[in-house]
Amino acid sequence: MNNTLALLGLLGREPSYGYDLKHSYDRYFGVQKPLAFGQVYSTLARMFRDELIMALGEESGGGPDRKKYEITLAGRDKVRQWLFTADVPSETMQSELFAKTVIALLLDDDADRLLDVQRAEHMARMRELTRLKRDGDLLQVLLCDHGLFHIEADLRWIELTSARLTQLKKELQSA
Amino acid sequence: MNPAVLKMALLGSRSSWGRMAGIGGGVAIGVCLVLLLWSAANGLAQRDARGAWLREMGQTPVTVPLAADGLTANGRPEPIPLAPDKILLGFPGDIFRDQLINHRDIAALPTTTVKIPGIGAPPAPGQYYASPALQRLIESTPAEELGDRYGQFAGVIDDSALPGPDALVVITGVSEAQLRQGPAAMLVTDFTPNPYGESASLYRTALMVGGIAVLFPVLLLVSIATGLGAAQRRERFATLRLIGASPRLISGMAAVETAIPSLAGALLGVVLAVVFRPAAAQVPVDGTRVFLADFTFGAGFAGTAVVLVVAACALVAARRNARTGIGPLGVTRAMHEKTPTLWRAGPLLAGLAGMAFGAVLAKVDTDGNPWTSPLLIGGFALTAVGVVTVGPWLTRMVSTIGLHRARSAAAVIAASRIRQTPVATFRSVSGLVIAAFMVSVFAGGVSAIETIDAPEARPGLLLPTSVYALVAPGFTPGHVSSVAQNIQEVAGIRDVTVGYARAALGRGEDMDIYIPAEDAPSLGFRETLAEQVAAFDTSFLNSWTTTPVALTAAPVHSLAGLAPVVLVVGTDGTAEALDRARTALNTSGVTATPATSRADLATMGSTRLIQGLSALAYLGVFVAVVIAGISLAASTAAAILDRKRVLGLMRLMGMPVAVLRRVIVREAAVPLLAVLLLSVGLGFLVAWLMIISFGRGRTITWPGPEYYAALSLSLLLALAAVAATFGLVRSNTAITATRSE
Amino acid sequence: MSTIDTTSPILSARGVHHGFGQTEALRGIDVDVHAGEVLAVMGPSGSGKSTLLHCLAGILAPIRGTVAYAPRGQAPVNISGLGEAERSRLRLTDFGFVFQFGQLLPELTALDNVSLPLLLGGTKRAEARQRSKELLERLGLDGFTAKLPGELSGGQAQRVAIARALVTAPAVLFADEPTGSLDSLAAENVLTLMLDLVREAGTTVVLITHDARTAAYADREIIVLDGSISAGHRVAA
Repeated sequence: MNNTLALLGLLGREPSYGYDLKHSYDRYFGVQKPLAFGQVYSTLARMFRDELIMALGEESGGGPDRKKYEITLAGRDKVRQWLFTADVPSETMQSELFAKTVIALLLDDDADRLLDVQRAEHMARMRELTRLKRDGDLLQVLLCDHGLFHIEADLRWIELTSARLTQLKKELQSA
Repeated sequence: MNPAVLKMALLGSRSSWGRMAGIGGGVAIGVCLVLLLWSAANGLAQRDARGAWLREMGQTPVTVPLAADGLTANGRPEPIPLAPDKILLGFPGDIFRDQLINHRDIAALPTTTVKIPGIGAPPAPGQYYASPALQRLIESTPAEELGDRYGQFAGVIDDSALPGPDALVVITGVSEAQLRQGPAAMLVTDFTPNPYGESASLYRTALMVGGIAVLFPVLLLVSIATGLGAAQRRERFATLRLIGASPRLISGMAAVETAIPSLAGALLGVVLAVVFRPAAAQVPVDGTRVFLADFTFGAGFAGTAVVLVVAACALVAARRNARTGIGPLGVTRAMHEKTPTLWRAGPLLAGLAGMAFGAVLAKVDTDGNPWTSPLLIGGFALTAVGVVTVGPWLTRMVSTIGLHRARSAAAVIAASRIRQTPVATFRSVSGLVIAAFMVSVFAGGVSAIETIDAPEARPGLLLPTSVYALVAPGFTPGHVSSVAQNIQEVAGIRDVTVGYARAALGRGEDMDIYIPAEDAPSLGFRETLAEQVAAFDTSFLNSWTTTPVALTAAPVHSLAGLAPVVLVVGTDGTAEALDRARTALNTSGVTATPATSRADLATMGSTRLIQGLSALAYLGVFVAVVIAGISLAASTAAAILDRKRVLGLMRLMGMPVAVLRRVIVREAAVPLLAVLLLSVGLGFLVAWLMIISFGRGRTITWPGPEYYAALSLSLLLALAAVAATFGLVRSNTAITATRSE
Repeated sequence: MSTIDTTSPILSARGVHHGFGQTEALRGIDVDVHAGEVLAVMGPSGSGKSTLLHCLAGILAPIRGTVAYAPRGQAPVNISGLGEAERSRLRLTDFGFVFQFGQLLPELTALDNVSLPLLLGGTKRAEARQRSKELLERLGLDGFTAKLPGELSGGQAQRVAIARALVTAPAVLFADEPTGSLDSLAAENVLTLMLDLVREAGTTVVLITHDARTAAYADREIIVLDGSISAGHRVAA
């Protein structure tokens, strides 16, 4: 999962201090593995350098934790690009898709669409594997089947999530 | 059983209301018909009992001294004198228009102790007692045509001695001398109460046949009604099994579900029978109706019928259910029909063999073998059952051939379906098939009667416009001539011819009758003879003679010295004139036999009995055909409903509704036509066997128009029944029927 | 293998609405089905995918919108404007259908079931049987032609149904969950056989399924959600 883009996405909701940002992140994505402060600040610094975010009026103390950051237009574009670019189906992809969905909901963006896009990507991959199966030997078939069943599991998750989007959105926004 | 479960069993859905209405209606019609038939049987039995005394034949009124060998007569017969316990009873054949009147002449001592049924003491000479129906007829007819025959009205005969309200019975008082003149007076000491004469077996046979004819379709209707909506019911029961109902509970529910509507139906049937009893009693059998009081079924019988019908329906439902084996996941056992084999022809062949054997017995044993009737009735019932059992086999044969030759989609579908389920397919038309069989039996029976046409005028046979009477011995030619002169005066009488013979008829070797040659044309002879006196054989008079009798020159030249033996009265042919001639002859005082015409044989024979019964039978068959038509519609509808998903899918694939309709029509038409020809043929065969057993030499011919009307009605009804379900085809195979939930 | 002609669709639905009573099953659907393609229609149960198939195949007439059918090289016909008899005729001659189960007439042998559409179209019975026999053999059912549907396994019965759908060489095959009642392996075999046949003949297929692995056999898929085509799969105008 791409921490940078997730943090950028969270900033897209509202301008926020690094400290608050870390806690938001932990709440949504860090249930198992909270983000270290150092990692947050280094990421913010990188994004600032890349002009994805900008600092709002500097306050006394001047440390990085006393700065409030806001997303720039370029930052927003980056987030949207990330959201609506399907990932190659893989076993490690799930948390990324999860993050995208949550961010999209938090940003009040089209989570449906992002799931659709991903679904199309999954289907394309399945078609590819099915074609490989047609021409391959039994070993190849078994290998393809393995892939197919995993992708199918993802697809099912996508389907279920898309059916629960409204409810999920309500929960996230009220939290 | 848990009341909640019971409620669920009964009030499953709207379709279960329809099914219950079907069961109830079918059972109601069935029970009503059974009760009315039973009433008719009771009525006929009662009628026989009331009229039993009319069968009393008495004993010979003379003794003949026998020779030493005990066999040959030795001397002239001596009359046995009347006594207080003996009366003399005469049986003059009496006909008015085309109706037979039961006429009894009675001569008795004033001190007689013999009770005459219906009147008590015998009438004095010159007086008569008549049944109310006859008395009405006498009063509404000119006396010279009817009333003059009997003398003075003394009173009506009590209902207890009358078969029915329409019975024409008359008891006249005559002098002993007058009665002894005729050949047929008998001595009677008391009147038999035994109603079973020779035609009783024919009666009962015909009644049983009619009963079977009506009962068969009724049973079919009940069986089809209880099977209605079986497919949906199976699903519902499967659901109940899934949630834990035991097979026994399901069987019990099926039984209750059938028993309650059939109980309601049976009770309704009793009510209907009570309501229709007076109307049904109006149906005349053998020309007369039955007294309403006799036309009754009795509470005991009604109760038994209700209990039996309800129990049978419930048992059948429970058993049918247990047999289909409904498990928690639906019907577990595949419902494959057993392929019908040739064994199914067994009952039919056995029935025909029984009837044939009965017919042979009747032929061989002319005295009436006690086995004839049971063999014929049993054989008939077996044949009727046989037509139904052999039907599926024939249906399968025909459909197998049809499947090979099928060209169109509808033909392939219909033939395949029939081939897979010949029993179920045939069941739906079996009612109509059995009805066609019954119609044919009766049409065959009636055709034998219809062939006895009204006699035609043929030279050499007694003219149909003439009546004759034999002259009693002992009257002088002069006296007889003056009687003839008097009769000649009566309106409508053209001529009266006196026939002479050497001796009283039957008492000499010579069987010729002599007449003046100039009278020959008035008897219908065409020959012209040069001689003064012409002669012809006595068989000229007999109505059963069919070969014309030749007129020949008499071996004498004058009628002098000959005895007058017969009076032949020629009329203008009107019914009134014929009746006046009869009246004039019968009251002339010189006749030994009642006035007789050539048509009388047909009137007096048992033909009217068969005709009366066949009217009843046609009525029964009509009811049967209507019920069979309803059954056909019900089972056709069921056949559509049970297949609605697959038929719906076929329509979805582009099969036009018209093809589906053609399938439905074929599924009804193939079994119907396959077995219809057989049942029509068998019907006539059965009729022929009955006629050669009972019909005394009659033959069977082409049936009358009623037959074709009845047969067309059956086919039309079948067509209507199938067409009535066309509406279901479209609506039940619409797209919603294909949803798999 | 035939080529997919993406320039002119063989079936084209525009703004199709359909509903039963108060509920609207389809709310303005636009779909193009290209000649020679295998199109999977996916979606959860109740989404309206079967209703869409019924509209595309001329079984149901949409309340609003049009369905145009343009067989290769011919001018498009508005199916929804035809009468019921004409639509029945069209389904019989140009379309084939395979359903999930229970579509074979139980009293007919496999061979007669397959020859039925030919007979309905007026082919002589002997010829119809011959053609059906050949097709059944290609589907590996040589020894089963005289069997009744009740005597066949689920996979065999589906293959008979496929033979029946393809025996008239239809332009479009509509398959509604054709493998829905089969286990994975049987489903795969049936599907492979069916698609080999249609690809060889260049038949267009509209394949309804809720199963992704089945849909993966298609060239393309659309997803129906609540009576609409889901966002990622709309027709590119």
